[in-house]
Amino acid sequence: MGNISLTLNGTPVSAPQGMTILEVARENGIDIPTMCYLKDLAPVGACRLCVVEVEGSRTLVGSCHTPVTPGMVIQTHSPKVLEVRRVLIELMMASHPDTCIVCEAANCCELRLRATDLEVGMPRFRTRMHYFPVEDENPSIIRDMSKCILCRRCVAACDNIEGKKMFSLAYRGFETKVIYDLDKPIGSNETCRDCKTCITLCPTGALRLPMKFGQEKKGPVLYVKG
Amino acid sequence: MPQEKVVLRNCGAIDPADIKTHRAREGFKALEKARGMTPEEVISEIKTSGLRGRGGAGFPCGIKWEGARNSPGDEKYVIGNADEGEVGTFKDRYIIQNDPFSLVEGLAIAGYAVGARQGYIYLRWEYSYLLDLLRGAIDQARAAGYLDGFRIEVRQGAGAYVCGEESALMESVEGKRGEARYRPPFPTVAGLFQKPTTINNVETLMNVAPIVLKGGAWYAGMGTERSRGTKVFSVSGDVARPGVYEMVLGSPLRELVEGLAGAKDIKMIQIGGATGRIIPYDQIDAPLAFESYLGAGAITVYNRSRGVLEIVGRTMEFLAEESCGKCTPCRQGTEWLVETLDRFRRGEGAARDIGYMQVLADTMALSSLCGLGQAACSGLVDTLKYFRDDYDRGISGK
Amino acid sequence: MTKKAARVKTPDNILMALQEAQARSGPLTPEVMAGLAASLGVPSNDVYGVASFYSFLSIRPLGRNVIRVCQSLPCHLKEGQAVIDAIRKALGVGPGRTTEDSRFTFELVNCIGLCDGAPAMLINHDVHTDLTPGKIAGILQKYK
Repeated sequence: MGNISLTLNGTPVSAPQGMTILEVARENGIDIPTMCYLKDLAPVGACRLCVVEVEGSRTLVGSCHTPVTPGMVIQTHSPKVLEVRRVLIELMMASHPDTCIVCEAANCCELRLRATDLEVGMPRFRTRMHYFPVEDENPSIIRDMSKCILCRRCVAACDNIEGKKMFSLAYRGFETKVIYDLDKPIGSNETCRDCKTCITLCPTGALRLPMKFGQEKKGPVLYVKG
Repeated sequence: MPQEKVVLRNCGAIDPADIKTHRAREGFKALEKARGMTPEEVISEIKTSGLRGRGGAGFPCGIKWEGARNSPGDEKYVIGNADEGEVGTFKDRYIIQNDPFSLVEGLAIAGYAVGARQGYIYLRWEYSYLLDLLRGAIDQARAAGYLDGFRIEVRQGAGAYVCGEESALMESVEGKRGEARYRPPFPTVAGLFQKPTTINNVETLMNVAPIVLKGGAWYAGMGTERSRGTKVFSVSGDVARPGVYEMVLGSPLRELVEGLAGAKDIKMIQIGGATGRIIPYDQIDAPLAFESYLGAGAITVYNRSRGVLEIVGRTMEFLAEESCGKCTPCRQGTEWLVETLDRFRRGEGAARDIGYMQVLADTMALSSLCGLGQAACSGLVDTLKYFRDDYDRGISGK
Repeated sequence: MTKKAARVKTPDNILMALQEAQARSGPLTPEVMAGLAASLGVPSNDVYGVASFYSFLSIRPLGRNVIRVCQSLPCHLKEGQAVIDAIRKALGVGPGRTTEDSRFTFELVNCIGLCDGAPAMLINHDVHTDLTPGKIAGILQKYK
């Protein structure tokens, strides 16, 4: 397939046909934030954080799943795009518990990182929260679905990387939840083995390794800008 | 302007359980004529007619068919969308109840034009009582030899408004959760089972046979510049005569609501159901067309006793319940709006939330994955503009 | 008749399998869902994911008759709430509940496309339109 020309943030660039906007942007050193996207796996298009402005399009478009076309004019960081991304992060935080201080993932939480990057201030949109009991009986994984932002990385990883398909989406709307089996907590002797793939990929503290008391928090201390 | 019956031409005039009565009124003549034309000629006739999708989005039907026709692949599908779930819509139910044969004929012509050997009709579960009638129409058409080389299967929904959205509908036909897909690829390129697919609303398909018989130019002679032909409206709410009415596109809203349906003392009108627009009475002379207001033709009328916040709040509750939950803006946004509108309804709203609602509405329209989230705030935005006082009265301490 | 041949079952269609199971033996119990998963060769979580998505697939026990009253605006404008209240009174249970004798499950649903006969409801697959509180007792009587 041949190369095509397009305009990225005002600069003419050339890219192979079939590449997505996100891939072209990254190749050109532009960082578009993502949440549900996993390199090398099929795009999901659920989180919408990677949306960009494409000239002639009525709405913003998801850059992780939209292929570039000849002559496309793309803005990845216009004020309109940044404001939408800010609201999207606030919406992900809308039902997320305020337990960052005691959360094991706090220092390496991608949600927090993206909120910091986008200079999200006091959240404007707060909703009720989901209260699910922590599933901590399995020796390989702890699940706290009240922290889940439904990026679906664990679903994709277990299915496509580990080939086990232990997780699925269930219910719909605001009640949507990543479930195991018939929405049962993961018990102690279940098929989940110690691969850690989904835990490593989880952007929040929803999935974590069973940790002994006194173990250190991971990652460098995260400072909030501004 | 009185009613003009194109789509509803046979309703009340035939026995919906007997193909003979349908054939007596030129039934399946258009299919025979189409099969004597090339598929390209059929598509060209539809393009000339200017027929646009009747399910709400208004995409030109001929261009859709042409896209699927030109997509490479031996296996293609055509789908009749009978999942009308938009609040206040019941025209497709009325059509299937009274003339299922013309739907079968329209789908068969679509199959011929697109090059599909398999067609589906996706019938919402709520219309289960129409299943036998519809299957009977298909069986009779097959027995009469009209469906040689073309198979039609009826698939039932299971109670999900979002499955009326074409990408969610295809997921559902594949047996999955009815979640929206991102586009591109568009269904005409990679749709059902990743094969080229067209999805047309029931009413769109009802227009096909008359266009083939009388010609695209005849059809294009009705309506306005960008809205050709007629439209079937479902009128409900505060009206004396709720029901199904068919009018030439561009007819004034006033004639439909006050003239035909007998509404009085109107405060506002919701056009297009839960994802539709809400307009005040002083716009009653607006034409019914894609250029102004249309949607799938659901017209819900509210009189002066009705409260804006209750209508918008209930509408949002519906959308939150029916959101598929896949994308962040729709799943989280509808929930926040339900909770916020509820506070305003109780007189406990916060003044700053009015601004936040507008910000959120913009984000949902710009970034949601499908039409549900993109249009979820239409009525909210309209009423914030036309009925701002109602919101202000919901602010705590006022 | 060619009717049988027309209904070819797609083997891996989870939704159709669930619909058939529910039509055959009622609500989708954990046993039914696990059995379907095994026979379709898919994980049980996938079956549950589909079953819990659709309003008319029931993963909870149901009564012998299911009353589905429309709660959407066109019915609400025509005194739908009075009908809902009348049913609640007649059954002794509110929406979302099943009567103790398992005769009725009472549910509120979104627009069922009967707005020209508002307020409306479905009992099983039967349509009931132009309801008033006074008509409820007579209608319910027909369902045992």
